Amino acid sequence: MKFDTVIIGGGLAGLVAGISLQKEGRNTAIISTGQNALHFFSGSFESIGKPSDRLVTLFAEAGIPLHYKEGVRLMPLGTFRPSALALEDIDIFPEPRFAGKVLVVNFMGYHDFFAPFLAEGLEKQGIECRVRLLNLPELEALQLSQSGMRSSQMARILDPIWEKVVQEVRLILRDEDCVVLPQVFGMYDPSVPGLIREELPVRVAFAGTLPPSVPGMRTQQLLGRRFEKLGGRLLKGDNVLNARIDGNRVLSVGTKNLDRHQIQARNFILASGGYFSKGLKSNPFGIYEPVLGLDVEFDSDRNAWYDASFAADQPYMSYGVRTDAQLHAIRQGVTLENFYAIGSVLGATHPELGFGGGLAIRSAFTAVDSILQSASEL
Amino acid sequence: MNPREFDVIIIGGGITGAGTQRDCALRGLRTLLIDRSDIATGATGRNHGLLHSGARYAVNDPESAEECIRENKILRRIASHCIDRTDGLFITLPEDDLDYQKNFVEACNRAGIAASIIDPQEAKRLEPSVNPDLIGAVRVPDCSVDPFRLCAANMLDAKLHGAQVRLHTEVVGLVKEGDRIKGVRTRSRMGGAEQTFYASVVVNAAGIWGQEIVRMAGAQIGMFPAKGALLIFSHRVNNMVINRCRKPSNADILVPGDTVCIIGTTSSRIPLEECENVAVTPDEVNLLITEGSKLAPSLSSTRILRAYAGVRPLVSADDDPSGRNITRGIVCLDHEERDGIKGFITITGGKLTSYRLMAEMATDLVCRKLGVKKNCQTAIRPLPGSGEGSYEDVAKKIWETPSTAQKAAVARMGSRAFRMRSSDRFDEALICKCEEVSVGEINAAIERMDASTLTDLRRRTRIGMGPCQGEFCACRAAGLLAKSHGCIDRERDDLAAFLQERWKGNFPIGWGDTLREAEYTQWVYKHVLGL
Amino acid sequence: MKPQEFTHSKYNFEECMKCTVCTAYCPVLQVNPLFPGPKQCGPDEERLRLKDPYFFNAALKYCMNCKRCEVACPSEVNVADLIQAARIRYDHSAPKLRDQILASTDFMGSLARPFAPIVNSVTALPITAKVLDATLGVDKHRKFPKYSAFSFERWLSRHEKQQASFPAQIAYYHGCYVNYNEPQLGKDFVKVMNALGTGVQLLDKEKCCGIAMITNGMSAKAGRNARHNTAIIRKAVEKGLQVVGTSSTCILTLRNEYPELLGVDNSDVREDILLASRYIYEKLENGAKLRFKPDFKLKVAYHVPCHMEKLGWGIFTEQLLRSIPGVELTVLDSACCGIAGTYGFKKENYESSQAIGQRLFDMIAEADPEVVACDCETCKWQIEMSTPYKVMNPISILAQALED
Repeated sequence: MKFDTVIIGGGLAGLVAGISLQKEGRNTAIISTGQNALHFFSGSFESIGKPSDRLVTLFAEAGIPLHYKEGVRLMPLGTFRPSALALEDIDIFPEPRFAGKVLVVNFMGYHDFFAPFLAEGLEKQGIECRVRLLNLPELEALQLSQSGMRSSQMARILDPIWEKVVQEVRLILRDEDCVVLPQVFGMYDPSVPGLIREELPVRVAFAGTLPPSVPGMRTQQLLGRRFEKLGGRLLKGDNVLNARIDGNRVLSVGTKNLDRHQIQARNFILASGGYFSKGLKSNPFGIYEPVLGLDVEFDSDRNAWYDASFAADQPYMSYGVRTDAQLHAIRQGVTLENFYAIGSVLGATHPELGFGGGLAIRSAFTAVDSILQSASEL
Repeated sequence: MNPREFDVIIIGGGITGAGTQRDCALRGLRTLLIDRSDIATGATGRNHGLLHSGARYAVNDPESAEECIRENKILRRIASHCIDRTDGLFITLPEDDLDYQKNFVEACNRAGIAASIIDPQEAKRLEPSVNPDLIGAVRVPDCSVDPFRLCAANMLDAKLHGAQVRLHTEVVGLVKEGDRIKGVRTRSRMGGAEQTFYASVVVNAAGIWGQEIVRMAGAQIGMFPAKGALLIFSHRVNNMVINRCRKPSNADILVPGDTVCIIGTTSSRIPLEECENVAVTPDEVNLLITEGSKLAPSLSSTRILRAYAGVRPLVSADDDPSGRNITRGIVCLDHEERDGIKGFITITGGKLTSYRLMAEMATDLVCRKLGVKKNCQTAIRPLPGSGEGSYEDVAKKIWETPSTAQKAAVARMGSRAFRMRSSDRFDEALICKCEEVSVGEINAAIERMDASTLTDLRRRTRIGMGPCQGEFCACRAAGLLAKSHGCIDRERDDLAAFLQERWKGNFPIGWGDTLREAEYTQWVYKHVLGL
Repeated sequence: MKPQEFTHSKYNFEECMKCTVCTAYCPVLQVNPLFPGPKQCGPDEERLRLKDPYFFNAALKYCMNCKRCEVACPSEVNVADLIQAARIRYDHSAPKLRDQILASTDFMGSLARPFAPIVNSVTALPITAKVLDATLGVDKHRKFPKYSAFSFERWLSRHEKQQASFPAQIAYYHGCYVNYNEPQLGKDFVKVMNALGTGVQLLDKEKCCGIAMITNGMSAKAGRNARHNTAIIRKAVEKGLQVVGTSSTCILTLRNEYPELLGVDNSDVREDILLASRYIYEKLENGAKLRFKPDFKLKVAYHVPCHMEKLGWGIFTEQLLRSIPGVELTVLDSACCGIAGTYGFKKENYESSQAIGQRLFDMIAEADPEVVACDCETCKWQIEMSTPYKVMNPISILAQALED
């Protein structure tokens, strides 16, 4: 099988790169080992300020409206974090005191949303709070299952009956000027959060839950669908095991599912993620990149990998694959001219690209531009 | 009666203190137990969880061996829900001297331990994980024991017999009038309230920290802390305890405990001031994996969950201040006799396996001092949760077709799980999915077993002890705790402290899947939840 | 010694990060509250089962082994294998008579075939459906697939000489369905292969792949079939033949389930077991040519069966269908049809089965194709029972598009 570009990894970085290339008519395939970190996406892009038109358009065309505003967002444990760019259903407030009186609504038996923590956090900001639980008979089947009350399951039930949720909230709403609901809406029908906003007479804010993140899963699905609609090919549940390399060029990759069938391409992008996604692997002796054995920057003393404080920035998070400025990966000191590394596999080797979502998107654009440019030079 | 007056105050919520409290309570004494943090935070909860058959001591310390097998047999009866009757193997590897085996078996039999030589092939059949190169094997009645559960059950029974427990309460001084100790001054570590409690006898069961309590009383005792590091693996590799059949050494015991298995220990002397915060070094980790793999080779490719270390409260004999002559036996000091201080005794040393005997010795001494003539009943009366048969039997009595979560609850709670029968669907929801702990079980631990922090809950229910190390269950359980005490700020701090405590055990082995899990947990708490 | 360079456990269960992604993609969990979900039944409870088999959960039987959890898992945990392996290892309850009958696809086929017209008319009778429903617990809504009066094996043996005359040869693993129910698919396959200049041989007495036996608690019998099939495949490979099939589930079983679940080592021949669409795609990629009807027109919606997703070969079928001139192709979003082999036939699963499939049925209606393409026969039954659309194996579509 032959493609213009093969992308290893189907998370945010891989999908953004894939959509960008496919939009330029480049025949692209994404090979992904299962699902990815978008399932834990908070809905707010880390380390991005004012977004480029290119970014906003890419998401809008995938059916994912973004909004930009410098401010703070409400975290599930009742704290606030700075935010600037987020999915439309994630509120960015100019300041933590975003309302006068808030009604926090949760569902009976749902332990993955922390209404009392939220309420206390808001009260600290001088916002009066009331917590109420809804018990909808439609959720009974989930409550009967010992582990049924999870965000993705709830969204499946709640999306079609959102009007009923609105009715129930209306009944318990008193003089509050804002309602906070868990992010368990809009996975199957992306319009639901917006509809709830329209139908309630007061401001509505959605606060996060334990993973999986419903807005994250929706983002992943919409980006994936957009990539496929543009003609891109998603090879799901497969992993790249080896590559054929000739000098400073990668010729093809082999995968677990396709065994001896090699996938050829003119360009490759490694978007395989950090440790969780196994883009980087570790053993007691070091940190390595498992697909090609790319050069990785890390401290050879294992004791230096960690900070003893859980809350501190951990040194291991900064380690990543070595590349040049255009993100060509380096292997055994040789810069590979058609093999790029983007996203979390870079760690913090390029601090100017940011981290998290910002790193994923910026590095994807950098690699895509380099691919498009190198092709026009040919 | 003054609510601050007791017959006995016990300092220390380890197994010795809890056992002593139970024994006192069963003999009708009014008791108060005080611990500066929680149950089983010292040596009690920081060991293998091995219920010795005594075989390990048979050759060098026959007295301890006899003590162990007697207590082993008693605990199998009275604490059945805390004990897994695994049996143990003492294996001889090619580099070991097979002649030792003969001495070993003879010594065991002299001590009353049923030790039988079995064919290496038979050993491999019984325990498939054992090193296949073994040249000899002896089967002994070793068991595995959950020290937290055992400790909690003792305390629960004491409370059922009128005892009081104050956890997270520090002893800041003793009330001394003349040559008599009359009580303790305490400060709550949750809120800082200071209170004084009075008793006719104060029992010092504070383990390694008992040295400080003795100093408060105006006497001296020579403690020699010995650090032992251990590793927890994320699932059971072995179902029988595996030991090396040779002179006891480093990392030569592998114990299956509930859903995990534990290799240990190293042994090194440390200064007393380091006891508060013992850290496991990379060298210790390497030693444990290398030596452990000789017992069960698959350990070298099994995910490690945590590294931790405990401090054994070893006491030097009174005539030997240098500490060269250290005893691993039970030390029960009547300070009236020893130092002329009345109403004060220290019980320390010993082992987890012999805790009941230690408690009996301490309680006998208390009773002599109080002039109470009641016999010890702890060897015959089952602990709450025990005595109704195996977990299979108990579960069958409660539910027609128990789910796995219900079975797991019975395995932890024993017959106390009967109260779960009436639970509704909201109580059945799982908070911890690794160990399958339900809302109902967590609420029971909060309401009836003095759990006031997430770490307390972990010791009583196993939440956060599974592979995810509390990633998800911690904040769910924090919600339940917050509901019980009503203070969100405190709970947010508690959550942070819990995750910090988990991380402390993770980073010494922070590679492979542990590092993956750590990255994920740190991402979730920082960027998704906003802790 | 280097301590702990790698960690490894059977089915990678220790690599589970408890991220819960699999639970979001499990079709059964979405509709059946009695099923605790792939994470809990798989990696979570494996630790308890290793402590004591007593902790085995009877609710594991609700897993339909679609393997979507494995495709979704970011950590390469073989969740479904873990669940099926636990059932094999710990569930000692004897399978119900109904399950034995449903699982014995080859036995039933050989029994029914000579009486095909009678059997077909009997199983088609409403009264039969009611009787099966009441007595055996086979859901009354289900239609049994029709049996063919002449087996495919008999048909091919009549053409043995002609097939032998082709310069290239492959061995065909046709499976029970082609043999007893739809020999036409086998004939279509032969037509395509012949057009590529390749003759088709039978294996030396293939047996049912055994997937239905595995999921119905008959693993001992499945193991016997696995050993037999692997041996005859090895014989064919030693003769220089590749083994090609037309059912994605049979091929998944031969390749993956034999070593993973039944302990039958096939590593020496595994890569020579291929699905027809991959085999043909690779031939075309290497320069082989097919001649198509100039006026062929067909609006096709391709449903990627769950086991095809697991194989990761949907792309071959998709590319192959795209290469047929005149095919207007829609690839449907990944969704389970709900039948999972014999799962949906059981009365207790009927409602779950239909609820799971609803999303797929809706998508098909939206695409409104002339024909649904699908590499799996049980998906075909389910879709044809639940929608008005006709379902064809991609190989049959290809055969139709070829010049005669």
